[in-house]
Amino acid sequence: MDRFLKLQTLLGVITLILLATGLWFVWNAPADFQQGGAVRILFVHVPSAKMALFAYLVLTLASVHHLWKKGEGADIIAEAAAPVGAAFAAVTLASGSIWGKPMWGTWWAWDARLTSVLVLFILYVGIIAMRSAMDDAVRAGRVTAILVIIGAVDLPIIHFSVQWWRTLHQPASLGGGGKPSITGPLLTPLVIMSIAFVAMGAYLLAVKARAVRDRRLLTALEVERELA
Amino acid sequence: MMFIAAYRIAWKDMMGDFRRRATLSSMLFFAVAVLVIFQAAFDPDRAEARRLLPGLLWVTILFTSLVGLGRVFQAEEEDGAFEGLLLAPAPRGVIFLGKWLGNLVLTLIVEAGLLPLAFILFNVEAWDAFFPLLGILVLGTLGLTALGVLLAVMTQAARSRETLLALLLLPLVAPLLIAGVQAASALLQGGEIGDWLRLMVIFDIVYLALAPWAFGWLVEE
Repeated sequence: MDRFLKLQTLLGVITLILLATGLWFVWNAPADFQQGGAVRILFVHVPSAKMALFAYLVLTLASVHHLWKKGEGADIIAEAAAPVGAAFAAVTLASGSIWGKPMWGTWWAWDARLTSVLVLFILYVGIIAMRSAMDDAVRAGRVTAILVIIGAVDLPIIHFSVQWWRTLHQPASLGGGGKPSITGPLLTPLVIMSIAFVAMGAYLLAVKARAVRDRRLLTALEVERELA
Repeated sequence: MMFIAAYRIAWKDMMGDFRRRATLSSMLFFAVAVLVIFQAAFDPDRAEARRLLPGLLWVTILFTSLVGLGRVFQAEEEDGAFEGLLLAPAPRGVIFLGKWLGNLVLTLIVEAGLLPLAFILFNVEAWDAFFPLLGILVLGTLGLTALGVLLAVMTQAARSRETLLALLLLPLVAPLLIAGVQAASALLQGGEIGDWLRLMVIFDIVYLALAPWAFGWLVEE
């Protein structure tokens, strides 16, 4: 059994244990005084939002490394990190909407954070589409890496501009957008769920990276067979 | 002066286009078509038109620039002319600046025609704000075309590249669109404008610094 598969299995087991513990705490946490039971969705929402951003950091580091050293390993990580980040961004948007309906009375509001995450999600989709639209794998890796770096430069500007736009234009229309200061019995599950989501991100990255690596090996073998 | 090379590349693109009247005329008529579509879709009265105008202008410019960007490297795609262009005795960044300048001038010509047309078609009496408004459009177009030409290079070798170009350009250009619309609104309706201009300048500087560098990486063999 190759080492990579062992790592993946280990990460999977850790993720399962952490998620089960975290969800047990979430289940037993007291209902929030204002939000009631709906507060529980934040234990999924907040960690996945953090992971959506963290995945972009991993993606950027892998892309810079690939451009610099031209190593294949970094490119595989970069190819695997994009869909993982997209998945976390999608979970963030979906869970936020489900929470928003009872809390804000609407599925969607053009709040600064919501807009930023939506743009982040579209950017992930664009990065995935960019790579899959090119036949030459080496060139696809380099072009995608540059796109990721452009995105890394643009994301803070997007965040900044949207924040300005929303605060200068209509100050805090929805008070619920602010982060609730959380303590005691609600903090413990949040911490455990956050760690669980980090482990889950690492697990998904390992699964995807293995699939990418195997597919590349297969393509290389097929090319070799055609030449022979 | 090595920037002479950039100027010559831009000149080549512009002259080629003026003679064939290919990109410029299709951009202009596309822009007019978008204005007609907006009028048909929203049918605004005078007050509404004044409020909607900044957004209409920027959305029209964004869509129109996609038409132009799809053709930036059209001339270079035939007979291996792109490799020929890269062989020019100038740094890669300067070659990029040349391609950018050519696209910028075409887009600016379209905007200069679009703005009075939009005033007339939407019955907006804001002629005293004409030049400040044009200035805002120019300021935004610097960054928009820099990012756009760069994305055009990136999607050059891709399948269904025009769809991909739009998919990539629209989210990345969002800050510029927000700042441009807010600045133009502030001009027409009154309000704070300085912050939005500053945001546009930041966007322009970032992309004009980043894009020539990224182009060098992209075309490296």
